[in-house]
Amino acid sequence: MRTATPPVAPETIDALATIVAQTDRAGGKISIAGGNTLCGMGLPLDESALTLSTLRLTGVVANESADLTIAVRAGMTLQGVSVLLAGQGQFIPFDAPAPQYATVGGTLAAGWLGPRRHRYGRLRDYLIGSAIVLADGSVARAGGMVVKNVAGYDMSRLYVGSFGTLGILVQANFKTIPAPRHARIFLAPLPERTRERAFAALATLPVPPSAAFWIDGFHNAIDGDDGDEGRVAVLLDGSEALLERATRELRSALGRAGVPETRVFDAGARESFQRIVDAYVANLGERSVTYRIASFPAESAPRALQAHELARRYGLRTETIVDALNGDVVLRVSDLDSRTLGGKIESFDDAMHELEPRAQVIACEHPHRIHLDAWGEAPAAVERMRALKARFDPNRTLNAGRFVGGI
Amino acid sequence: MLRERLIDALGTDGVKTEPEDLSVYAFDAYTDGGRPLAVVLPRSTREVSAVVKIAREFGEPIVARGAGTGLCGGAVPAAGGIVISTMRMNRILELDVKNRRARVEPGLINLDLSRRVAADGLFYAPDPSSQQISTIGGNIATNAGGPHCLSYGTTVNHVLGLEIVDETGEVFTTSIDDSGYDLTAALVGSEGTLGIVTSAWVRLLAQPEAVRVWVAAFDQIEAASEAVSAIVAAGIVPTALEMMDSVIVAAVEAAFHAGYPTGAAAVLLVESAGFEEDVGAAESAIRAIVNQRGARYWRGARTAAERAALWAGRKGAAGATGRIAPNYYTQDVCVPRSKLPAALRAVEAAAAEHAITVGNVFHAGDGNLHPLLMYDRRDRRQVAAVVLTGNAILESAIELGGTISGEHGIGWEKRDAMTRVYTTADLAAMGRVRDVFDPRRRLNPEKIFPSGARCSEVTPP
Repeated sequence: MRTATPPVAPETIDALATIVAQTDRAGGKISIAGGNTLCGMGLPLDESALTLSTLRLTGVVANESADLTIAVRAGMTLQGVSVLLAGQGQFIPFDAPAPQYATVGGTLAAGWLGPRRHRYGRLRDYLIGSAIVLADGSVARAGGMVVKNVAGYDMSRLYVGSFGTLGILVQANFKTIPAPRHARIFLAPLPERTRERAFAALATLPVPPSAAFWIDGFHNAIDGDDGDEGRVAVLLDGSEALLERATRELRSALGRAGVPETRVFDAGARESFQRIVDAYVANLGERSVTYRIASFPAESAPRALQAHELARRYGLRTETIVDALNGDVVLRVSDLDSRTLGGKIESFDDAMHELEPRAQVIACEHPHRIHLDAWGEAPAAVERMRALKARFDPNRTLNAGRFVGGI
Repeated sequence: MLRERLIDALGTDGVKTEPEDLSVYAFDAYTDGGRPLAVVLPRSTREVSAVVKIAREFGEPIVARGAGTGLCGGAVPAAGGIVISTMRMNRILELDVKNRRARVEPGLINLDLSRRVAADGLFYAPDPSSQQISTIGGNIATNAGGPHCLSYGTTVNHVLGLEIVDETGEVFTTSIDDSGYDLTAALVGSEGTLGIVTSAWVRLLAQPEAVRVWVAAFDQIEAASEAVSAIVAAGIVPTALEMMDSVIVAAVEAAFHAGYPTGAAAVLLVESAGFEEDVGAAESAIRAIVNQRGARYWRGARTAAERAALWAGRKGAAGATGRIAPNYYTQDVCVPRSKLPAALRAVEAAAAEHAITVGNVFHAGDGNLHPLLMYDRRDRRQVAAVVLTGNAILESAIELGGTISGEHGIGWEKRDAMTRVYTTADLAAMGRVRDVFDPRRRLNPEKIFPSGARCSEVTPP
C-alpha cells in the first residue's frame, strides 16, 4: 500500500516512543509498518496517518545461544534471525511469507500462523519476552530471557496478533529449539479419486509430517507437476534416521491411497516449502483476493471445494492451498483484470462470508479492498476486545480501524 | 442474608458457612490464610454466574479455588468474601478424539483427564507434581508447568479456548482460533483476577511411541548442573531433565524406594520420548555429555514399572521431606539455563548463611529451581531464617537475569516482589488489562499486583 506521507523510521526505541507520545497528544494517527509483507491483512492503512516504520529498529539485543534464547529488535527480518540461528544449529518456526522482508514485529503483530505449527507449535509459544511502546509513549516490558515465567499476566502473548492496535512491538525475546538436521519434500499429483484417502493417510501417519498440502493452481509459484486436480506436497524434517523411516511410511501410505508416483528431493526442500508459504499471500497484481478459512483437517478439503464451487459461480478463477495437518484453507480468487474483478468481488465477498462467516482476507491489492469484510464475523468476545483497545489506546492513535470489529 | 441468597441459588448442600468448614478454605498450600464469609460449591456455569451476581450485590470479593495445592496463596481469601470451589464441576463435557481435544470443567483433576483419554492413545501434557489432586482450572489460573513442559510447553500451550464468568456474572467465551486479541493467552495465568473459568477446551497429544528414562549420578552438584547446561547448549532438548540433590534423594529413597542411587551429591532424571529412531540417538549424546562432566553412575529404566517408580519418586519428593523436618517452604525461581550452576551456588550460600537445611529438586532443563527449605513451624528462629533464605534466593535469581516465579505463580506471597522485576510502566500495562476485566478489583483481590501504596503507582492515568 502506498501512503501519502513518507514513513518515519526511528533508529531507537526512545525516538519511536517520543514520536508516538507527541502524535498521541496532538490527536494524530499512526499507521505501523514493518516489511509490508502481510499488509494485505486487515483493513488498509489510513493514508492520512503518519506511517511509522520499524525497519531501522534492527539488531540483536542478546544472543544467548547456550541458553537457546535470543532477543532481537522488532525491525529485524525473519531471515536475519533465521540465518543467525541456523549458524548455531537452532531455529524458530516463523514459516511466514517473504522472510527476507518480513519483520519479527510485523509477523508477531499479524499473528501469523505457519504450516508447521502442528508439529512445532505456534509462534506465540516461542515468545518469552517483549517490549512494546504504548500509545502514551510509555515502554512496557513483559517476560524476560527465561523459558518459564508466570510473573504477572502474559502480556507478550496478548500482543501477538493484536495488529499493532495495543502498542508497537519494539523487541521480541524468543526461546529457540534445535534445528531439524534434514528436510525432504514429496510432490505428487493428487487425482480427485485419491484425495480423501490421501488426507486420511496423512493425518494418521506414525511419524507425522512437518507440513502437508493439497495445492491446486499456483503453477508459477510452486514446484510440482500439476495434474488436473492439483498436487500434494509433503515436508518431512528431522534426523536422518527418522526421515528414512518417515519416507518409507509416507510412500506406502500414499501408494495405498492410490496417489501416483512421487517426486522426492532433499536439495532445495526448504526453499520449496518456503515458496508454498510465500504463495499464501502472493497477489496477481490487482486482479486477485486471497482468503484464509480456519477449519479442522478432516473438514478442510470439503470446505475448500465448497468455496471453490462458489467462486466458480461468480466466474472467478480459483487456486487453493489446503493445509492437511492444521486444517487451513487458502483460497485465491482472481479474474482477467482489476476492473472485471471489481465488478463482482463485493458480492462474492458477501456470499463467501455467508458460506464461511469467519473467512479472512489475507492478501489483496484491489482498490475495492476497503469494502471487503477483511476479518469476517466478529468473535464472541469482541466487546471486551474493544474495551481493551479503549484502555490501551483511548485516543485511537495506533492503527485505528484496521482490526477486527472496527478496532 | 447473604447465606440465604446463596442457598436459594445453590441449595443447602452447595453453601458452607459453618466455622469449621470455613477454616478448611482459609488456606491453600501457602503458610498464611484468610477467612471467607462463605464457601460455595456450584455445579454449573449458571450457578457460578448466580454466585458472582450475588457477591456483587453484597460488595463481596470472590476467590475461585480448585484443589488448593497452590504454593503462593493464590487461592487464599485474602480479603474475605466468597470462595467458589470448582470441585463439583469435574466432568469431561466433550471428547473429540479425532481432533485431539476435550472440553472439560475446571474442577476436573489433571491426571484424571490423561487417564480417561489413555485408551484413545492420547494424554494431556501439563503435569505439575500435584497432578494427582490439582485441577485443570487451577492449572489454568497459574499457567502450571511440570517436568514435561521442557518439551511440551506449559499450560498456556495446551488451552484452546475458555468459557469465563466475568466480574458481573456474565458468561463469555474465547478461542485461540478467534480473530482479534488472544484473550485466552491473557486469561491463562491470571490467577483468577480476570474472570472465573467454567470450562476449557484443551489440546490432547498422541502418546509417544518410545519413552526412555535414565538416571545419572554425580559426586558434585556443580558437575551435575554444568552437565544440564551443557546438554541444553549442545542443542538437545529431552522431554524432561530433572535434578535432585543428596538431601532429596535420601528422602525419596527412604519413602518410596524409587530406584535412585543414594550417596551421590546430585542425580539427574532424564526422559526422552518420541520416535524410536530419535530416543536412541538422544541417549548416546546425553550419556557422552554426562560422562564428560564426571558422572559416576548411569542407568536406564528397563521396564515401564521402573520408569513409573522413578517418576513417582520425583513427583513425591517434596512430601518425602517430611522425614527431615516437619515443614518445608518451596521457593520457585527460574534463571537462564546457563546460569544454573551459579544459581545453585547462591541457594547453597543463602541456606548456609541462615543455617537452614535445603533440598533441591527441580526442572533443571528449564532453569526452574525449587529449593525446599526445611524447618519447624513451631520454632520462630527457623521461620524467620526461612523467610530470609527465600528472599536471598529470589534476589540472586533476579541478579542472574531470572524471574521471581517459573511456574507456581505470584499469588499473595510474591506480589510485592513484582516491583523488583517490573517497572511501574510494565505493571501499568498489566493494570490496564485488569481495569477491563475487573475494574472494581473484586476478583481475587490482594493478588499479583503490589500491595499498599504501590497500588496507586501501577494504576495508569
